[in-house]
Amino acid sequence: MQTISLVGAASFLPETIIDNEHFMNASGIKRHPMFRGTKLRRHIKDTESATTMATAAINSLKEKLNLNLVNDVDVLITNVTIPDIPFVGCGAAIVGALGLKPKTVYDLQNGGCVSFIFMMELAQMILNSTEAKSAIICNIQTAAGRICGQDDNLKLPQSAVPGDGCGAAYFVKGDRNPIHSIVTKTHGEYANDMKIVTSDGRDWWQPGTTAFNIDFGEEKISSVIARGNKLVPEVMYEALALADLQASNIDTLITNQPNRIFLRNWREAIQLDEDQHINTLPDHGNLFGAGIPISLTLGLDSGRIKPGTKILLSGFSHAGDYSAGAVLSWNG
Amino acid sequence: MSTDTSAQATKPNNRIFQPIILDIPDLCRIEDTEKEDMQELCMEMTHAVYPHDKVYGDYCSIQEYINCPPEKVYQYLAETSNFLEWTFSLRDMEYSEQDDVYTFTDAIGGKTKCFCRTVCSPDAMTVDYHCAWDQEKKLWMIYLMRVVPAELVFGKPGSVVLWTNCCHPYYNNNPHPELAPTDRKVWVGDMWPMFYAGHTIEMQNLKKILEYRHANQS
Repeated sequence: MQTISLVGAASFLPETIIDNEHFMNASGIKRHPMFRGTKLRRHIKDTESATTMATAAINSLKEKLNLNLVNDVDVLITNVTIPDIPFVGCGAAIVGALGLKPKTVYDLQNGGCVSFIFMMELAQMILNSTEAKSAIICNIQTAAGRICGQDDNLKLPQSAVPGDGCGAAYFVKGDRNPIHSIVTKTHGEYANDMKIVTSDGRDWWQPGTTAFNIDFGEEKISSVIARGNKLVPEVMYEALALADLQASNIDTLITNQPNRIFLRNWREAIQLDEDQHINTLPDHGNLFGAGIPISLTLGLDSGRIKPGTKILLSGFSHAGDYSAGAVLSWNG
Repeated sequence: MSTDTSAQATKPNNRIFQPIILDIPDLCRIEDTEKEDMQELCMEMTHAVYPHDKVYGDYCSIQEYINCPPEKVYQYLAETSNFLEWTFSLRDMEYSEQDDVYTFTDAIGGKTKCFCRTVCSPDAMTVDYHCAWDQEKKLWMIYLMRVVPAELVFGKPGSVVLWTNCCHPYYNNNPHPELAPTDRKVWVGDMWPMFYAGHTIEMQNLKKILEYRHANQS
């Protein structure tokens, strides 16, 4: 199999910064566990879209890596939480907006908070089985503004946790910053534990006067926590074993960013120090799928990820339906 | 004949039972702790992995299912001479009726003598081995065993054996180094970090012996 390498990553964060006070005022609750992990987060506004966010992130990637977007992008793979238009992702819209000429475009619906690794796997397959030499993969998280920002939901303390943002990464055939392993897993038994709920019980596509929301159900909270504690360490160690590496070989851990407890537990499970785990939760909230590429961007831009080091990516999605881990080297 | 009822659980004599705890600080109860705060506290305390010392530092509790009726398991544990079968290194038993103390050689400490008085409670199916190396005046190494009918807790025949040791300060400091056999370098407490493993292996011995005999109806 041909080795695939990471070339770089870039991100875009919507302009609108919202602090905890906003949620405290909306809910009338001043003290709540949901207000403790995250201090700030961005919300997509009406004049922005998943497509404009992705376009901005990919333009930033172009500037950083000096890419010719017409010639240098053979594959585009995206994942959007709440797309601009139902039915479609925003792959074609991004292609149109940026004038890309990719041979292959996929909008991935699954993988959720760990879809970046699923997209890495898909990119690796495509680059290995076609003439394509390069791929951009892009996570766009829009659920904070589009769901949590609705008046009905703003009153709920848990709405303070998500944040919007977009992260994109560029991969090519080659061995400069090789991907050593990718493990993706699907846990069908947990597929229906995350639900879309409405206060009047209607389905989310049916007309109504109240906002819909995402919910795990109080009865499932303990199970979802147990799943996160189990699935992510398991897949991290599988990705390490597949790369023929030990936890002690890893310099930087990047995960999705659901809450501070999971971050602590995953770091402890892999026995890394707190400063080796990139944490975007306080400033950007739970970025869902965009958490991994935005953290990767932050790690590379800040110099925390140093040349000659190894990075472990991992996480799980929704109520535990997918988990994934990947190991790659960073040589600059 | 008097009946000792001190061990029985007290029962409230009124239908409405009010706990009197208002003067006790820092309790975590639903009356003064929000459910969300309780949930956060529980999440905070729930880790994906635990360092060995965090779990087995001050206490070493292990447990195992044994496919053998609880009465048989209890009787086997209550018979101290069975140490000769299921423990790793207790051998050469002698029994002093006068002191009600068993003396073994603990071969893990060479010629070390290990003393044991066994305290059983048939109703609770608890068997506590009060032991010590080198001397029998203070039996401070206490092995707390309890047999639970698996029918009650797992809904299946057999037994669950619970086994706890607490890290008495003497594990860290031998109170009577002068009583050790000459040339003995080890102290039982040096092995405390391995108690989980050692006891688990001995528990497996216990399980294999009892399951084998029960299956063969001996």
